[in-house]
Amino acid sequence: MKFFLPDSQDLVDPSFDFELERRSMTRQRQRDDLYAHEVFSTPAFDGLLVSKGIVDGFGVLGSRYTLSQRRRLQRDGAPRFFRLDNASYPLEIMGDCGAFTYVDEEEPPYSVDEVLAFYESCRFHYGVSLDHVILEFDPAADAPGAEEDVIPPAIRARQQLTLERAREFLRKHKAGGHCFKPLGVAQGWSPKSYAAAVKALQKMGYDYIALGGMVPLKTQEIRLCLEEIQAVRKPGTRLHLLGVTRPEHLQEFSRLGIASFDSTSPLRQAFKDARDNYYLDGHKYTAIRIPQIEGNPDLQKKIFAGQVSQERARQLERECLESMRLFDQGRRTVRQTLEVLLEYERLYDPDAKQKRNDHAAAYEQTLENAPWRRCACEVCGKLKHHVILFRGAERNRRRGFHNIWTLYRQMHERGLGEGSPFQEETGARARRAKARAHG
Amino acid sequence: MPKELKLPAVEVRQSKGRTLYSFAVDGKLVHRFATISRVSRREGQLHGYQRPEALAHIEEIRNYLESPSPMVPNAVILAFDSRVRFKPAETKPPSKEVYSRPGTIIIPMEEQPDEDKPGFIVDGQQRLAAIRDAAIDSFPICVTAFITDDIGQQAEQFMLVNSTKPLSKALLYELLPQTRAQLPSSLSRRRLPAQLMVRLNQDERSPLKEMIQTATHPTGIIKDNSILKMLEHSLIDGALYEVRKRGNTEDGLEPMMELLRNYWTAVSQVFKEAWGKPPKKSRLMHGAGIISMGLIMDDASALLMETARPPTVQQYAAALQPLEKLCHWTSGTWDFGNGRTRKWNELQNTPKDIDLLARYLTDQYRSLVKDRPQKLRRVAQR
Ligand SMILES: [Zn+2]
Repeated sequence: MKFFLPDSQDLVDPSFDFELERRSMTRQRQRDDLYAHEVFSTPAFDGLLVSKGIVDGFGVLGSRYTLSQRRRLQRDGAPRFFRLDNASYPLEIMGDCGAFTYVDEEEPPYSVDEVLAFYESCRFHYGVSLDHVILEFDPAADAPGAEEDVIPPAIRARQQLTLERAREFLRKHKAGGHCFKPLGVAQGWSPKSYAAAVKALQKMGYDYIALGGMVPLKTQEIRLCLEEIQAVRKPGTRLHLLGVTRPEHLQEFSRLGIASFDSTSPLRQAFKDARDNYYLDGHKYTAIRIPQIEGNPDLQKKIFAGQVSQERARQLERECLESMRLFDQGRRTVRQTLEVLLEYERLYDPDAKQKRNDHAAAYEQTLENAPWRRCACEVCGKLKHHVILFRGAERNRRRGFHNIWTLYRQMHERGLGEGSPFQEETGARARRAKARAHG
Repeated sequence: MPKELKLPAVEVRQSKGRTLYSFAVDGKLVHRFATISRVSRREGQLHGYQRPEALAHIEEIRNYLESPSPMVPNAVILAFDSRVRFKPAETKPPSKEVYSRPGTIIIPMEEQPDEDKPGFIVDGQQRLAAIRDAAIDSFPICVTAFITDDIGQQAEQFMLVNSTKPLSKALLYELLPQTRAQLPSSLSRRRLPAQLMVRLNQDERSPLKEMIQTATHPTGIIKDNSILKMLEHSLIDGALYEVRKRGNTEDGLEPMMELLRNYWTAVSQVFKEAWGKPPKKSRLMHGAGIISMGLIMDDASALLMETARPPTVQQYAAALQPLEKLCHWTSGTWDFGNGRTRKWNELQNTPKDIDLLARYLTDQYRSLVKDRPQKLRRVAQR
């Protein structure tokens, strides 16, 4: 199974000094910054997923790219833009349209020609056909004798449109002599409708099919769909799961034909999730929040109103940072550290305790376990305790990189990876486990 | 620790009842005798007058203070209460023509909580915070002080010093090329583009000579900002980045200038009709035109520089030729496809229109210049 990391220009600045919290004056964004694959010497994913919607930006969603960056991506191609050569292992790039960016439109805002031209100029290795995402899901539509109107015509039309565009995409792909590998997209509203779409795509000639619109589905619902698809899937047909990770179910997904998936959640959870910020050994730990005063709008408002003293806030912020530093050196206990952290929390979020939202128990667990000390990845090795601090993009994003690396390693340790870079190691581990079991 | 700080000072009588004191003190000491009067409300009453510190701004000043030979010429302004005294060097009163007299200013320095300190910082809180935080032993700073027990007078001075207009952007860009010192990062990022812009506007052989509107050249027809944007794009993501990467920084300007001269000369030749007219009559000289054509410069250079660097005027002109018939700089209607059209003079200098035009022109350029070597493509059939 392959893991693709969706790109949204997530980079870290190698000149950032974590003690002084400063960066080089001459640093140029993106040019001098590092992608996850430039940070790790061992693989953390198999490829990148680049969306036209993210690159161009659509409607109110502005682009993550500047005008001149977009030009450079198309001029130099994605492999050069993303500096794949800097990775110590081969990486592939998959292009898609980013159907979620235009979900509210009646029709996709791009033509098949535009999409093909985009994939071609970016020199992607894979290209996903133009689709229109379906968010409705209702297995009742599959019941024998179910009324036609369980699913509104507009939804059925989206599936039809997606299939038509896939047909046009494949035809023009062949006629244009394009080099990338085409994927057709299956959209549906129920297990049977997904299976029907897969069947139609296979008939057109696709042997690599992306399953769209499954992000909001429960794992059980995805499983039902995959089982239904399994009944029509030809042996040579590979499936790609768009935007979904369920680490606990990868084994099963793999058995049901999933050859690849993409997901940002290991990255996003590092700084978006309320609790699960740092992955290790199958656990998810809560990162230690030490917000920058200027990065915390609530606190900033109170300071401006004169209700909280800026000096006091700065002093506590510094004490928290110092405390964590000393804790990591073994010169502060969990209890001492916790005390300072919670005092700062009471200042920037005074209602936390009332809302049962304070972090006392979660922090205690994080500090007791100090998981970053056990992690073998480059980020943890270099950052030490800074990786667990929920504070500013430089730390938060690196923690996200660590999560990606951890997920990928887990995947390979369970024997799910492809061309496994950890195979030897995993094999040795399995032999050792066996020996232990027998001994 | 001394209970009082005694510093040489000058007393200046400015107007009736208004006396100023001027002296130098180690900036690291100021927080020991002066505090910031933060604005707040207690039981409905307004207290204080200062805003909180802008931490990012303090960081910039702090970086500068830690550079090799920093200078902070402007004085910070302090208001003292009457516990601070001035002792003149001579007892006899000065004559009418003399406005100032030397002496000593005496400031109590006991350890007190903030609200009991004898001084308030009226202006310079960011500078003083930066000096306090900087990794330096000391930094003498000029102080202008007045003595009053009246908080209204302090607030009045605070408003006066903080209501001055900031420097105009145009003047900043004009001054920037001459600076060498470490500048705040927002300014130093613009220094190289500003240097190139000044030369494009002045050099004898520049096709843009005296065409750029700047503070000292108000009659130029192209806005300075359009040229700066075009240069920044290229310096970060385009041809100028490639040229600059190779050259060293001291003589680095000339290769970049050569490329710019050749390209824009070619533009002036291919679009002869539209060149040199005011933006009202030609959209080529407008932000949207300059920026889009700048992106074409980067695309064209990437192709041409595989064989020639920098490309010649003739090479650029040949590369631009296919675009000529598609452009409607001075009349007609642009057809951007998918039913999007714009009359030539409806094209605005907005991000949306710049984006539309740039995307159209660069896409057209790419499809018209088909000779991209096949070998450059990475075949990935798997
Ligand atoms: Zn790690």
